[in-house]
Amino acid sequence: MATIEQTNEVGAPASRGGSPGHDPHATATGVTNLKLGMWLFLASDCLFFGAFIATYLLYRGRDTVGVGPKELFDIPFTSATSFILLMSSLTMVLALAAIQRNDIRRLRIWLLATALLGATFIAGQVFEFTEFNREGLNLTTNLFGSSFFVTTGFHGAHVTAGIIWLMSLWGLASRGRLTQKDSERVEIAGLYWHFVDVVWIVIFTVVYLVPQPGPTGS
Amino acid sequence: MTEPMTTESTDLAKVEEGGSALAPAEHAPEMSPGEIHPHPSPLQYVIVAVILCVVTALEIAVSYTEGEIPDALIVVLLLGMAILKFVIVAAWFMHLRTDMPIFRRFFVIGIVAAIILYLIVLSTLNRFS
Repeated sequence: MATIEQTNEVGAPASRGGSPGHDPHATATGVTNLKLGMWLFLASDCLFFGAFIATYLLYRGRDTVGVGPKELFDIPFTSATSFILLMSSLTMVLALAAIQRNDIRRLRIWLLATALLGATFIAGQVFEFTEFNREGLNLTTNLFGSSFFVTTGFHGAHVTAGIIWLMSLWGLASRGRLTQKDSERVEIAGLYWHFVDVVWIVIFTVVYLVPQPGPTGS
Repeated sequence: MTEPMTTESTDLAKVEEGGSALAPAEHAPEMSPGEIHPHPSPLQYVIVAVILCVVTALEIAVSYTEGEIPDALIVVLLLGMAILKFVIVAAWFMHLRTDMPIFRRFFVIGIVAAIILYLIVLSTLNRFS
């Protein structure tokens, strides 16, 4: 056990940039702190999104005023944007595969494709929010409005943060500052991106596809 | 399940012997830290994406059967397919299939904690009554 503690200090910040040939990522757990930290963040984010989804389920079908999901949802449109986000996960893993092969040209292409697909999803969400607002639904209209906009809005904020992250990686790759040895940075960004994708898988099913209760008293 | 756990135990055992679990010689060159098996190939990623597309199309088709089959069955089918898509993305695109089990454990703990916590909250607020 004492040996484990000695080995563990290899991963401490003080040891970074040590002697040549010394692995700065070596830790007692056998995984890098960066990747472990990202997985811990994602685990905590499950609770974050869980709170919004639970609130949506709690308020679902309890409205007595305002327009409801049955009058507003455009399933074909939202299905198309969901499909776009799902495909952005494919381009993200292809970006990771490219940097692991040291193919920086394809890395740039796939990173840009992922960011553009994410931006298309966000554009769809902005259009949807605008349409709902035009139909008379806003954050304070009713319980559905509050829980819907907060749940999908926070997810959209996560996607937007992911797009900024991807574009910063694309910028680094374009300047030649992202090489094969930096593949973990792309992998970490990819983990975040896939997480927003799996969260949308749940939101799309629970909020949009599951049969809605009867019409509200609009 | 058994194989990755064994590998992790082996890695930790090596650490206890005084070596690093990430010594470069102990991993194939294409493996990044935390990997047990190599990541899938681009072709495998495309196949997984096609499967995800098919499941999504099925989900949307099922949602249009409202009124023709019982709502309870629709909910079960939709949730089942959502869980399937979630697991596929986490296993293949997030590499939980090929990475060390410690990542899977952290993620599962987060998900299970969220489900238990919010089921308790919804039960307390009489959502299921």
